[in-house]
Amino acid sequence: MAENLLQKVVAESGQPIDLCYQCRKCSVGCPMVEEFDFPPNMVMRMVQLGMKDELLKSKAIWMCISCETCGSRCPNEIRIAPVMDSLRAQCLEEGIAPADPVTVALHSAFIESIKTFGRVHEATMLMNYKWKSKNFTSDLDVGIKLFLKGKIPLMPKKSENMAKIKEIFQEAGK
Amino acid sequence: MKYPYFPGCTLYTKAKKLDDAGRECSLKLGFELDELKDWTCCGATFPLVNDQHITMSGPTRILADTKEQGNDKLVALCSVCYNVLKRTNHVMLNDEERRAKVTDFIERDYHGEVEVLHYLQVLRDEIGFDALKEKVVKPLAGLKVACYYGCLLLRPVKEIGLDVMENPTIFEDFIRALGGEPVEFPYKIECCGAFQAVHSMDTATRCSRDILNSAKDSGADLVITTCPLCQFNLDDRQPEIQKSDPGFSSIPILYFTQLLALALDLSAEELGFERNLIDPLPLLREKGIVS
Repeated sequence: MAENLLQKVVAESGQPIDLCYQCRKCSVGCPMVEEFDFPPNMVMRMVQLGMKDELLKSKAIWMCISCETCGSRCPNEIRIAPVMDSLRAQCLEEGIAPADPVTVALHSAFIESIKTFGRVHEATMLMNYKWKSKNFTSDLDVGIKLFLKGKIPLMPKKSENMAKIKEIFQEAGK
Repeated sequence: MKYPYFPGCTLYTKAKKLDDAGRECSLKLGFELDELKDWTCCGATFPLVNDQHITMSGPTRILADTKEQGNDKLVALCSVCYNVLKRTNHVMLNDEERRAKVTDFIERDYHGEVEVLHYLQVLRDEIGFDALKEKVVKPLAGLKVACYYGCLLLRPVKEIGLDVMENPTIFEDFIRALGGEPVEFPYKIECCGAFQAVHSMDTATRCSRDILNSAKDSGADLVITTCPLCQFNLDDRQPEIQKSDPGFSSIPILYFTQLLALALDLSAEELGFERNLIDPLPLLREKGIVS
């Protein structure tokens, strides 16, 4: 099982994970480490050790925002962002409840916006996200402020190429 | 000179002024941004895992369209679109297996022929900062500017290659060309909290607070950015920062094209400063940049 996780993450991320020797440069510069349950250097060790259950249930994999600071500084040129992406994908594939479901709700609202309009339309996307996350009132004031400043147009502008977009999504769903 | 241009979704909505000012300035500088036909969203995140081909189909289609419309360059203004398009093209050039899978899937012939450029790169490498300096009508004299890069304009350096990782200077050189004074501040390449702002406001508030305090401690009058999301976080989080730190004084956050427009003497009324939460006009009037 341990080997499986390491092999799968290496294959998907293309990163030389076994080279990590715990210098912790990644964790020192990580802007999100305060929100992680395991700092990035520990995530790397856990992948090496095959601690699949703990990793796929962790908050760390969802709080990483792929800013690529760690990967740019790693002395062994390991990029952790793709490792996190691989762990996120495995979490969803295996049907494990994500430790941070709202991030998943945001990502799926974003994709659905592209599916519908070919482009992202903030107003409908954020309403969809609110519906999915069942979090209706937080930052409502921010939305109203943006709307009043004319930054959120009500009417979405569709791409002129919707037929092709539909085809791609249909093909991908097979 | 005409450059094919990919505006991206947000530049039609929230970041309209980044786009408007960029287009207006280009005309003043002797080039034109020619909007790509029938463009779709770039996907806004680059697929990091090797087998995520579907997420790469969007940006690849955009690049293939650019090529088919007879171009070998594509300019972006938004850091996010620039990052996704540039990295996708890097895959098209360097990873034959992934390239073949994605292009087969979307049934297009594309081999990485289009060079993806950021608008700043056009100014630096095609127009030249010296030539830009000569076109400046109203130098930004006495204006201390914190040039905030954030993440996506720079990283990963091997794939983006716009500038060096730890101490890039393209943005500072741009401000010098406009006659302004760039300040050195340690947080210029730190992350603003990005999309965590949607569901974890406190995270974005913390990240933005640290960046803004760093800029102000270095003597900055304002902060400029190339990214709609950075602009949102840094501008919009300030009232929240003030709640926990009443001593925090606000600082305006502008798109770099807005400052360029001022230096080229475009009317401040056209630049949409009323859309900024922290109004930059009092500062710009005090500095004599806007009358």
